[in-house]
Amino acid sequence: MSDIAAPTLHSKRWRRHCDHAAVIVIILALWSLATWRFGTYWVSSPWAVAIRFVEMIASGELLRHAGYTLTEAAAGTLIGGVPAVLLPLLLRRHPVMVAILDPFMVGGYGAPKLAFAPLFIVWFGIGMESKIALVVSVVFFIVYFATLGGVRALDAKLVQTAQIMGASEQQVARSIVLPGAVPAIFAGFRIAVPYGIAAAVIAELISANRGLGYLVQNGAMNFDTTGVFAAVLMATLLVHAAVWLMNALEARLLRWRPPLDPMMETGP
Amino acid sequence: MTALLEIRQLGKRFATRAGRAPSPWVIQDLSFSVAEGEFLTIVGPSGSGKSTLLNIIAQTDTATAGDVLFRGTPVTTRDPRALKPGLERRIGYVTQDDNLLPWRSTLDNVLFALEVQGTLDQASRARAMTLIHAVGLAGFEHYYPHELSGGMRKRTALIRTLVYDPPIILMDEPFAAVDAQTRTQLQADLLRLWDLGRKTVIFVTHDIAEAIALGDRALVLSKQPSCIAAEHMIPIPRPRNVSDIFALPGFAATYEKIRAAVQ
Amino acid sequence: MTDIPASMADVSGSGAGSRKLLIYGGRLALTLALIAGWEYGARTLGPLFFAPPLATAERLWALAISGQMLADILATLRVAVAGFAIAGIVGVILPFLLRRSARATEAIEPAVMFTMGIPKYALAPWLILWFGIGDMPKLVVVTLVVFYIVFITTFAGIRGVDRRLISMARVIGASERRISREIIWTSLLPFFFTGLKIAFPRAVSATIVGEFLVSTEGVGRYIEGARQVSDTTGVFAGVVIALALVLTINAILNAIERWALRWRPVERDMEL
Repeated sequence: MSDIAAPTLHSKRWRRHCDHAAVIVIILALWSLATWRFGTYWVSSPWAVAIRFVEMIASGELLRHAGYTLTEAAAGTLIGGVPAVLLPLLLRRHPVMVAILDPFMVGGYGAPKLAFAPLFIVWFGIGMESKIALVVSVVFFIVYFATLGGVRALDAKLVQTAQIMGASEQQVARSIVLPGAVPAIFAGFRIAVPYGIAAAVIAELISANRGLGYLVQNGAMNFDTTGVFAAVLMATLLVHAAVWLMNALEARLLRWRPPLDPMMETGP
Repeated sequence: MTALLEIRQLGKRFATRAGRAPSPWVIQDLSFSVAEGEFLTIVGPSGSGKSTLLNIIAQTDTATAGDVLFRGTPVTTRDPRALKPGLERRIGYVTQDDNLLPWRSTLDNVLFALEVQGTLDQASRARAMTLIHAVGLAGFEHYYPHELSGGMRKRTALIRTLVYDPPIILMDEPFAAVDAQTRTQLQADLLRLWDLGRKTVIFVTHDIAEAIALGDRALVLSKQPSCIAAEHMIPIPRPRNVSDIFALPGFAATYEKIRAAVQ
Repeated sequence: MTDIPASMADVSGSGAGSRKLLIYGGRLALTLALIAGWEYGARTLGPLFFAPPLATAERLWALAISGQMLADILATLRVAVAGFAIAGIVGVILPFLLRRSARATEAIEPAVMFTMGIPKYALAPWLILWFGIGDMPKLVVVTLVVFYIVFITTFAGIRGVDRRLISMARVIGASERRISREIIWTSLLPFFFTGLKIAFPRAVSATIVGEFLVSTEGVGRYIEGARQVSDTTGVFAGVVIALALVLTINAILNAIERWALRWRPVERDMEL
C-alpha cells in the first residue's frame, strides 16, 4: 500500500471503459486494414459481417441452425452430465469400485474424443444422434472428475460431525456431500459446456446437413467468407450465453461464496 | 557515540480513496534507538502496528512522517519505488511466516541468501553447515520444507538470515505459531546463537515473558496510534536459561511493570 | 488434497492386500467385459458397425509392419508439436510482459475472454480457403487452441505467486531478474504443467480434427478416409492408434511432471 492518494474509484472505472473501447477500436481498425489490403473475399470486413449477421437473424436462418447446435449440445450435456454427477455421489461409500473404474475413467478423460467423431458417425449416422454422442463423451469425463474431486475434497470432519449427530447415510449424502460438491460440479460444467458446444460444431463440420458447423462448412464451400464469419460469431455468442447462464445459475445457488476471478477460468 | 539505528518521530497512515475521511495514524510520533550489539524487544498488543513498524525499518513499506537513521544517516523515503528492501543486506528480516522456498531443501534455502548475494564459497558454505548443526538440523539438510516440522522450518528461516550476517536483524513474532515447548527450545537456540555473535536484534512480540527472556531492553507500544508507552531495562544477567526464566530474581517485577504498561 | 477422503477409511479393516487384489481383479474383469461386449457387438450388429477385436488387431499389425502407422503418427505429431511450440512460447511470454502493466492487462481482458469463446476449429474451413490443403490451416487451428490454454494458466500462475516470498527475496538482496527466474518461474511450474497436460493432448486432438477436414496424411486422415469408404475396421484401427498416441503422451508428461515437481508434497490419493 502506498501513501500516494489513489485516483478515485469512479475515474478508475471510467478509464477502464475507455481502455476497453480503445482495444475494440484497434481490433476493428486492424481488421478493416486487412480488408483494404486483401479484399473482402479473403477476410470479409467488420461491417459486412455485422450486416450479414443481422440479415441472417432476421431471415431466421441463423437462429434455426443455432437451434440445432444448441439442441445437440444441451441433450449431450444432460445425457453425459447427469450420470457423471450421480456416479461419484453413489460410489462415495465404495472406494474399491472407484479404484476399479479409475484407469478406465482416466483413459476416457485423456482420450481424444474429437478423434472419435467418425466412429460416432458410423454408429449413429449423420443426423443429430452422432453429434449428441460426441458431446456426451466430452462432457461425461470432465464432469465425472470434477464431481469426484469435489466429493473427495469434502471436509471429513463435517461428515463425522453429522454422523455423530445421528444423520443417516442418505441424510449425509443429501445435506453434506451434495451441497459440498456443488462448487466443484459447477466448475466441471463451466469447462464442459463450452467444450460440448465446440464438439457439436466440430461434428457438424465433419458431416452434417444442418447446424452452425454445417453453415460454416457450407459458407467455405461457396467461398463466402462473410457467411463463415457470421456463423462463427453466432457459435461464439452461443458459448458466451451458455457460460453466462452457468455463472448466473451458480451465483444463485452459491450466494455464500466469494466471486471468482474471471481470468482464472479455463475455456474451450 | 551514535546509535546503530535511530527511529525519529516516525508516523504511518495508509492511503485511502479520495473523498473519504483520512485514515487514522497507525504509528505516530514514535522514537527510539538501538545500540550496536543490543537485543531490543518490543511488546505490543495485537494490531498495534508492530509489523508495520518493522516493515518500515526493513524498507518493505514507506513511512508517512519521520525518519529512520542508520549509523546517523537518514535512509527513509516516501516513494515506494525508491525503497531498498533490506537496506542493501544491512538489515535482515525474519518474518512471522517462515517464507521458505518450497522447492529448495533446507540447505539450499539457507544457501539462497548467499547465492543471490554472490558470496557463496567454501567458507560461507561451511558457515551454513555450522549453523545447521548448531540448531540441530543436521541430517535434515536435504529435506524439503513440507517435510519439516513447524519448529524446524522456523530454525531454517532463522539461520537463513544469520548466515549472511547483516548488522541488524529484525524479528516479527517469529515463534508465534508454534507450541509452547518448541517455542522455549527456539528461544534458547536463538539466545545461544546470539551469544556467539552479539548482533543487533529488534524482536517484536506480544508475549511479555518472551520479551523479558530474550531482551536487554524492552519497549512497550501503546494501542493505535502506536508510540512508545514505556521502556524497561531487563536486569536479568546472561547467559539466561529460558526454561526457568520465571524463577529468576527480577523477572516477576519486570513482568508486572510491563504488563501494567501494556494496558 | 492431503486428507484421506472419509470414504477411504471404511475399507482399511479388510486388509490392504486383499483390497489390492480386489481392485486389480475388478479391473481385469472390466477389461475382459469390455472386449467381450465389443465382440458381442460385432457379432450382433455386423462388421459394418463394429469391427471385431481380432480384425482390428490384424489391421493394426498390418499398418505397423507396412510403416504407414509410423508415417501417419509422425505426420500428426509434426503439426501438433509445431503448433504447440509456437503457442507455448507466445502464451508464456505474453503474461510475463503483461505483468508489468496492470492497465494493459485490464484493457485486453474482455477481448481475450471474448475471443476465447470462439470455436477455433470452425475457422478451419476458412483457413483452408486461405492456405490450401497443406499443414498451414491445421497449424493455425492447433496454435489458437493451445495458445488460450497456456496463456490463461500462465496468467493465473503469475497472479498466484506468493507475494511474501518475493518480499523476502528482496530483503535478502535478490535482484529482480533473480526473482523472476527463481521465484516466479518455479512457482509457475505447477501451473505450467497443468497447462501442458491439458494443452498437448488437445494439440494432438486438434491436429486430428484438422486432418478430418483437410489432409493427405496423418492419423485423422486415415480414420476419416476409412469412414468415407465404409471401412469400419480402418476407423476402429485409426481410433485405437489415436487413443494410444494421446494416452502415451499423457503418461510421458505425467512422468516429467513428477520429476520436475518432486519438491511438492505428494498427493496421497493419487497413489494406490
